[in-house]
This record gives sequence, structure tokens and C-alpha cells, in this order.
Amino acid sequence: MNMLTRKLIAKDFYLNRWLITGSTAAGLAGLAVAAEGEMRFNIGMIIWLTTIVAFGVVLATFAIANERKERALQFVLSLPLSHGDYVRIKVIGLLLCFLVPWALLSAGAVALVAVMPRMPDGMLPIVVLLCGFMLANYSVVLCGALHTSSEGLMTLVIIVTNMSITLFIFLILGLPALREQLHAPAPLWNSTFWTVLSVEIATLAVTLSLPYFVAARRRDFI
Amino acid sequence: MTQTKHIEMRNVRKAFRFFTLEDLSLDLEPGQIMGFVGPNGAGKSTTIRLMTGLLAPDAGEVRVLGHAMPEGQALAKRDIGFVSDDMRLFNHATLAWHMQFVASIYSGWDPGYAKTLVKRFNLRPEQNVSGLSSGEHVKAVLLLALARRPRLLILDEPTSGLDPVARHELLTEFMDVLRDEDRSILFSSHNTVDVERISDRITFIDRGRLVDSSDKEDFLESWRRIQLHVPSGTTLPDLPHIISRVEDGQFVTITTNRFSDDLVSFLGNGVRQVHRMSLEEIFVANVMHHREMRGQ
Repeated sequence: MNMLTRKLIAKDFYLNRWLITGSTAAGLAGLAVAAEGEMRFNIGMIIWLTTIVAFGVVLATFAIANERKERALQFVLSLPLSHGDYVRIKVIGLLLCFLVPWALLSAGAVALVAVMPRMPDGMLPIVVLLCGFMLANYSVVLCGALHTSSEGLMTLVIIVTNMSITLFIFLILGLPALREQLHAPAPLWNSTFWTVLSVEIATLAVTLSLPYFVAARRRDFI
Repeated sequence: MTQTKHIEMRNVRKAFRFFTLEDLSLDLEPGQIMGFVGPNGAGKSTTIRLMTGLLAPDAGEVRVLGHAMPEGQALAKRDIGFVSDDMRLFNHATLAWHMQFVASIYSGWDPGYAKTLVKRFNLRPEQNVSGLSSGEHVKAVLLLALARRPRLLILDEPTSGLDPVARHELLTEFMDVLRDEDRSILFSSHNTVDVERISDRITFIDRGRLVDSSDKEDFLESWRRIQLHVPSGTTLPDLPHIISRVEDGQFVTITTNRFSDDLVSFLGNGVRQVHRMSLEEIFVANVMHHREMRGQ
């Protein structure tokens, strides 16, 4: 990683520092509420889920779409970098900005289910898949923000990705191999789990590499 | 050994849905200040975006500091300071943060000069960019470009929206940059007063086409308005290099772009007044003449 890449990634961390800190705090607060007992578990997990999803949308919108809209993109592109460098730096930088709270909050959720005596450990595969889905979901939003300058299209991406979370929860809870293990005392990492996880990883790989082949090769950038 | 031209554009074409930049060729030599003048929508910003690699030409060649654009833009931009009137800094950071950020990227950053500019432009480094007025914002962007001591400054309408005092300060600063003979400036504007003040070469552009390009002194020396008295019953002979001709009774005012003493001698006693033209008058006459020639 060269010096300019490091500086620009550090710039994204600096400019989004309050968003990263605030989202992490809100997500941890959600986990704290969830830890207070079975009754509050659902409320806490909704806060946790909403925080991660909203954080991803705001991060991608603020750091890419707003940079373009508020015309700071011209300033960034006046620096010694190519269009390809810009796209690469944005993908790496914003992925890292998301990964920090996501990793912390995902680890927190897994630990919560594993540690809480009344929560069956059979829930762990679902929680892991949900965390993986939120990462893949963010990568779709990031990919969309790097490819379109249209506010309408970006809004559509956000709506579709937000709706897809509910659909995903319904989908995995509809899979007998996962649903039947939900109340099991120990997690079962069966083939259905690995298949869903593979789809998430594939989505992540496609959406994170697509900008290198499309957005980075655009000859007109503004 | 000949020095590399700072900007070379050859037969450049760039088409959009409602606008086409056609067959544009221009050169900027080291040490020159080129005023790039055109009305709104003439293609100034498009040309500058081609120079800075933000756009790629459909045809022709663009080379900046010896690098083909847009392919070589990362290398070229190490030595380019680009400022555009619609360029904005990050709202949620201070000017000091921006200065530190740019300084960490460019080895040529001159902290002493940056400090001088902060003082001269009356800026407050600790202030958030969101709190700067539009004039202060332009000054801040210019500070960040100037203090890295680039070999080539490309300025797209940098003085638009500034008050006369701020414009004076900036133009003085640009003149300072040119103390080093290896540096050059391309300065786009529709304010011909600013351009006339600092440029040594002028290029006019209109409706996507280059209208004329020459040294400022050549423009000022070769363009004149001549008022003639033509008594009734006599006709003015056909004259070469007459850009426009306006008749008012027995008086005819001609505009020429090839003024010489020989022309005055040829016109003889009928000459009443020879009027030296400002750059703005030359620009307007030139553009109108070319539109007429192209039947627009």
C-alpha cells in the first residue's frame, strides 16, 4: 500500500470518525439492552441490526455520494492519483471503515448468544449468517454508490438493500436445516449454513471487485 | 535542448449530447501565463477537465508536463496545482487539517510560504471549512495549490465571486508564482480585465472552437478601431483584414486585426480617430467575427 493510499484511507477514517464511534456506541448499547434478559433481547437486537445497516448506508452515501455532490471530489481528484486509484482507495478505505464497528458488533452479538444462559447456542449459525449478510449488504450499497451519480438510483439501491434484510431473515428461518437447530443446546454448522455463507462471500467478492472492472475504467470521471 | 511544453493539445475533440469541443489545439510553454477566455458555455471547463485528466478526449492528443492524459494523470498531477471555482474542501475538517493533509502528500510543500499565504489571505487555519465564506473558500483552495509549489497551475475561473480586493490579492500572488521561469499558469476566465492584467498569452474560445491565440501584446498592438470620414459620393475601397464595419451617415467605423501605420497612410485624410482596443473589445469583436464566418 503506497503512501497516498494510506493517507486517503486515513482521511476517510478521520472524516467519518464520529459516525464510526457513534454507530459502534449505539450498536454496543443495543447489545447491552439485549443482554438484560429474554424480554429485552429482541429490542436490543433490533437496535443492533438497525445500527449496522444504517451505518453502512450513511457511510457509503456520505463518503462517496456526498463527496461528489458537495464537489469535494474535484479536490480529491486534483491529487496525484488516477481514476482507478480513486476507486481502489474508496473500496479499501470504506470497507475498513465499516469493518471496524461491524467486527466489534458482530463479535459482541456472537459472544452475547454464547454467554447468555437462556439463549440456546443453536442460534449461533443464524447470528453468524446475519452478520455475514450485513457485510454483503454493505458491499452492495458501496458498489452502487461507486457506480451511480444518480440520487434516484442510489435511493433505489438503499431501499432494495434495506428490504432485503427482512427477506433474508424470513428466508433463513424458512430453511428447515437452520430453523430446526435454533433451539438446540449446541450450534450445528451444517451444509445449509455453509451454502448460505458461501453465497454471502460470493456476493461480497462480486460487489467489491465489480468497481475495479467498471467504475475504475470509466474514462470520464466528472 | 528544448524544454517540454507544459500543455500540448492537438486536434482534440470531445462530444457531449448538446455540446462538442472541436479540433482544439493549444500549447503552453514553461514560464507563460495563458489567459483562457471565453463566454459562458464556450468549453473552457471542458478543456481544463481534459487537461487534468477528469475527461478523456474522443479524438486527438492531450499532453501535460510531458505525460499523455488521462493515462499519465497520476504522474502529471504531482506537479499540477488545479483550482476550479466549483471545487470544495471537506466541510467537516479545518483548514489546518487540509494543510497538513496536502503537506503529507506533496514533498514540495513549502510551510513558510503556506504561513505567509494564511496571513496574506487573512485565513484562520483552526476554522472549520464549513464556516468559511465563499471568497475565503476560494482563497483556502488556492493556498493549498500554491503552497505545494507546482510547476503548472491550472485555474478554472478562480476569481469569479471574489470582491475586487480579494481578486487583486490573488492576481498579485499569481505574478509571484511566475518569478520562477520554469512555472506556468493557465488561467480561465470571462473577466478580461483580470486576464489582461496578468497574462502574457491569450487564447479565445467560443462554442467549442478555438477562435484565436496569440501573445497579449500582439493582440493589443494589432487590433484597432478606426473612425473615417467618407464624404457622400465616395466609396471606401475594399480593405483586407477588416473584422467589422459600422456606417453612421458620413462616418464609418472599421475594426481591423492587422493594424499598421501603412493602413493609416492608405486611408489618408479620411481618418478621424484611431482607437486602441481593450482586451474585452478585442474578445467581443473576435468572437462575433468568427460566429459570422461560421454562419452561426
